[in-house]
Amino acid sequence: MHSMMSPILFYAACAIGALGVALAMPRRAVSPYLIGAIVGAAALGLALIGLAVAKPDALPNFHFYIFSAIALGAALRCITHARPIYSALYFVLTILASTGLYLILAAEFMAFALIIVYAGAILITYLFVIMLASEGPTEEVAEAMGEYDRVAREPWTASIAGFVLIAALSTMFAAGSSNLKLNPELAVADRHLDVMPKRVLAELREAKLLPDDSWGLAINGTNGRYDINPRLDGQGSLTIASNNGTGERQLIAQKDWPKGLSLSNTEGVAFSLIDAHPGAIEIAGVILLMSMLGAVILSRKKVEMDEEALRQAIARERSAERGDELGIEGPYATPGVGQGGAA
Amino acid sequence: MNLLSIAPTLAQGPMPTEMGGATLFHYLLVSAIMFGLGLIGFVTRRNLIIMFLCTELMFQAAGIALIAFSRFHLNHTGETFVIFVLTVAAAEAALALALVVLLFRRKETLDASSWQDLKG
Amino acid sequence: MLHLLELLGSSALATTLASTDAALASAPAAGGGVIAAPMWASLIVALPLLGAVLSTLMAVMGVRTKLPALMTVGLLAASFVTTLALFLQLQGGPAAGLKLYDWISLSWGSGAGQTFTASFGFDFDHLTLLWMLFVTGLSAIIALYASEYMSHDVGPGYCRFFFAFNLFVFSMACLVMGDNLLLLFLGWEGVGLCSYLLIGYFYRKPAAVAAAKKAFIVNRIGDLGLLLGILSTFAVFGTIEYTKIFAIIESGVLPNGQKLAEHWANWVIPALLTCGAFGKSAQLFFYVWLPDAMEGPTPVSALIHAATMVTAGVFLIARMYPLFVSDPHLIVLSVVAWAGAITAIWAATIEMAIFDIKRVMGYSTISQLGFMFAGLGILSPVGASFHTFTHAFFKATLFLGVGAVMHGFGGQLDLRRLSGVAWMRGFGLVGIAMLIGSINLSGVPFTAGYFSKDIILADAFALPHGQIWGSTAVAWILLITAGMTAYYTFRTYFRVYAGPKEFVPGDDAELLELGRHPKGVSIEEWHKQHGHGHGHGHSHGHGHGHDHGHGHDHGHGADKTATQRVDFDPTTEEFDPHPPGAAMKIAIAVAMVLAIAAASLYFIGPKGGWVAGMIAQSSAALPESVATHAGGDHAHGTFFGFDPHKVMYYVSAIVGFIGILIAAVLHGPRGWQGLFVGSRTQAEKSRADAFVTLFGPITTAARNKWYVDEIYDWTIRTPLLVLGHILHFADKLGVDGLVNLAGQIPRGLGRAFQTGQRGVLNGYALSMAAGIAVLAMIALLAST
Repeated sequence: MHSMMSPILFYAACAIGALGVALAMPRRAVSPYLIGAIVGAAALGLALIGLAVAKPDALPNFHFYIFSAIALGAALRCITHARPIYSALYFVLTILASTGLYLILAAEFMAFALIIVYAGAILITYLFVIMLASEGPTEEVAEAMGEYDRVAREPWTASIAGFVLIAALSTMFAAGSSNLKLNPELAVADRHLDVMPKRVLAELREAKLLPDDSWGLAINGTNGRYDINPRLDGQGSLTIASNNGTGERQLIAQKDWPKGLSLSNTEGVAFSLIDAHPGAIEIAGVILLMSMLGAVILSRKKVEMDEEALRQAIARERSAERGDELGIEGPYATPGVGQGGAA
Repeated sequence: MNLLSIAPTLAQGPMPTEMGGATLFHYLLVSAIMFGLGLIGFVTRRNLIIMFLCTELMFQAAGIALIAFSRFHLNHTGETFVIFVLTVAAAEAALALALVVLLFRRKETLDASSWQDLKG
Repeated sequence: MLHLLELLGSSALATTLASTDAALASAPAAGGGVIAAPMWASLIVALPLLGAVLSTLMAVMGVRTKLPALMTVGLLAASFVTTLALFLQLQGGPAAGLKLYDWISLSWGSGAGQTFTASFGFDFDHLTLLWMLFVTGLSAIIALYASEYMSHDVGPGYCRFFFAFNLFVFSMACLVMGDNLLLLFLGWEGVGLCSYLLIGYFYRKPAAVAAAKKAFIVNRIGDLGLLLGILSTFAVFGTIEYTKIFAIIESGVLPNGQKLAEHWANWVIPALLTCGAFGKSAQLFFYVWLPDAMEGPTPVSALIHAATMVTAGVFLIARMYPLFVSDPHLIVLSVVAWAGAITAIWAATIEMAIFDIKRVMGYSTISQLGFMFAGLGILSPVGASFHTFTHAFFKATLFLGVGAVMHGFGGQLDLRRLSGVAWMRGFGLVGIAMLIGSINLSGVPFTAGYFSKDIILADAFALPHGQIWGSTAVAWILLITAGMTAYYTFRTYFRVYAGPKEFVPGDDAELLELGRHPKGVSIEEWHKQHGHGHGHGHSHGHGHGHDHGHGHDHGHGADKTATQRVDFDPTTEEFDPHPPGAAMKIAIAVAMVLAIAAASLYFIGPKGGWVAGMIAQSSAALPESVATHAGGDHAHGTFFGFDPHKVMYYVSAIVGFIGILIAAVLHGPRGWQGLFVGSRTQAEKSRADAFVTLFGPITTAARNKWYVDEIYDWTIRTPLLVLGHILHFADKLGVDGLVNLAGQIPRGLGRAFQTGQRGVLNGYALSMAAGIAVLAMIALLAST
């Protein structure tokens, strides 16, 4: 933590963040969400200053700030916006900003998968349900909001608890990440190249690193695989051998490898999924199948309205009718019918 | 040829080594704050749909952390995990939203408080 | 019985009474006595118990007639006849025992004093028979009296009264006849309970309830002493059966080998027993309950609080007399003598000042009990027993007479408001009875009271110096008290029964006139029958005779609210006294005759009279070692050089006459009733009024009972009350507080966590989040 950022400033930022979030929550009276947003932004800024104070020379680049700020700001708005539709849309914004961070982290496949699956599919489902399950619009209010949307529950307690958790987590992350060492054994380092010899040969051929067409990839005598040894430090090599029977071999150092001779992110994920975790993808498939079945069963289930809710609904309707008869302009009284009753 | 140089242009240089760009901690910090916000939202909001949305937010925070770890360790295990997160999120969205629709049909409200049967 | 049958073997179970009698005959050691008493002797106890059971049944069945009274009179008379038959059978013979069954039989070893046995058995010696004769006889008479006296309350209250009455006789019989101290204790507590029940008979009247509680609580203090005495007796003697105790005392060697004469038991146990006796017999500072006990119905006062129960203390000491005289220094007997003398004169001073005639009788009882205790103390068990016996009859007579007055005058008890009662129509018998009782109490020559008091006085003077510490002083105190007794007795007699006919009805007169008809006729109906036109109070009283006069004895507290109040001023409107009815008259007459007849007992039998003969044959007889003055001839003490046994006849007679003369001068009415020296012409005024101004505060203090109740209030009751409040608060704050705190902690915790259990999803999520946050913080702090 001390190496990463100033703890005092960080905890102050947490406190101000809690204040901002609590202020930004929807409440019964006037909701000072703007103030809350400003305070929240101030908290983010304070955290940034904390980072800057601790390591002035180690600030991440501009894109990180843009994406993380958008992601967090949208997340804040997502949880504080009184209207569910807007919440969902802000959530989409969070997803999009997150994909930016994913891209920075060289996870292009996951970034696009996120946009397609999350922003495209899941969030559309949410929007459908929000529209399905909302009370119908009236003349006065275009989009009806329930009281449960307009008033948050215990904003102060929740934001204090949440920011205590944030502070604790971040402190631990700081200590943990500074102690964490890269394990070269775990690094992938394009070691799957030995299972795609044709691609390697094509790349080598294109880069004109093969003397002629009779040359191919050499096979390692010890493990029987193609002799390609990429290394993290760039000291790796690959061996090519001639097929003219002479057994002549030639070593190509890693630094001389063509630029295309590396696995793309999508290929890496694919290898990780199929090669390292073949059972996992099956389980994921089963989960999706089961959820599909469950959704089908649930949606076909006939649901009776709760007795009390039904009574209330009937009472609402009746009061609306009575309002019509008495000519009272009530919130439920539709003006047209009311006039008709009076006439 | 340095293996690390294969990262796309947007990607930072060698993350775990020199502090030329964002470190693992920065992403974890973003992840923690997003998780906290999701938690606060889950606790404070009373709309069932928003509550589920907040769980998605927490999933997303976890996803960022996983991707950051994946990048840190220079393998794709973390990304594989994010695929799981996506799977579970999708399944949850399907099932939970189906349930929400059922609940809404029963009480004509999305208020989680209307389902409290233990009044204290 | 079972025990005896077991002796015979199982085959005897099939055979009945015949074989039982054989068993009794063949087992002379059964019970404590030398010979076995006949089985029917147990009827003495069984009949009152049956009466109690039947009274309860009648109460349950809702009997609203005089049936309980008739049943009680019959059963108690049968009990008396049984006693008489037993007396005639056992007269002159050795003590007889009758063991009904083993009550308690405990054994925790085979050594001496490791077996505790108490049988439900009886010991009939002459002391027991003497007591039982007057207990059963008087209880039968007074039950007859009460049958009429209590008739205003026919119904559940009537049954309750006779239930307690029967239970009392049963308990008294157990107390007197029991062959061990535990059975005596059972009876002792039983009579205490019945006394409590009967004093508090009018339980809606606060004064009666308070008096009942007072009697019960004061007796508890004495009973503690008695219980400790019984336990000490067992600890020392290893048994609580009289015959075995007496055998050990006679041998002089205790079971542990020590000599009784040198053992602490010879004065500690008597002292403890004396404590119990003082409580029950209202001696010394224990006396305070007895005057208040007069709140009970008059038959109860007559039977329990004058004739029988209060003599239980005398009986206890007489019963355990061998132990009392086993002390070579006779310490406890000295204390008893002085306690009796002081109590006697103390009560007499109060009596001379107060105006409530029933209270006068109550204090008189205390005073006479003082005489009995003094008699026991100055080594005259004969005098004490004889005085108990005669006192039972003449005091019962006096109480019955007072009850008749109360009955007739609406509860009026103030001797300043009554005069010439004996001359009123229907009260002649009452006047005669009161005169008989008064001359007995005053010690007019040739009355029973004269002889019994004489024995005590003579024995007190005759006692050699040093045997009982200060016995001569005791004797002089008793002699003075005898004079005072004569004065206060005739003061009451002259003022209430003699003189001009004058009366003011008591507080209950209104109720007496207008109260509930005994047959259950409501007041409205009664008015319909008797007409409204003549005004209240005057129009009736003649028409319906005297049977309606049932408002006596403060007993209508409950009815006051129930009956309609009609304006009636007893001071201005005419009130007709209600003379006693037939049952009361018979009872009074019988008691009166017995009181007179008791005097003849002095002349029959051996020297000292019939009672002396009875006592001589019982365990209460003085052993030779102590009886140095036995018989007048060997008397060491003298009365101015004369033999007290001879001269005391004259001395006490003179003292008594002086007392009566003073009473006549001060309170006697004009004419021969005042022995020609009286001058009183009004109920309220007398020559004694001059002394009130002369003595001033002394009279007032005596009239206020020397403020003893107030002193007790300030020295005992108030400190205890304060202490009780302090302890109560300590208990409430300390103990209750802790207990409540133990309850409040989980309650508060529950309330604190209650908000987390509302069934609200968000709430659970919040607590989970907070929990995780706290855990994370703890982990963080622990790691750094």
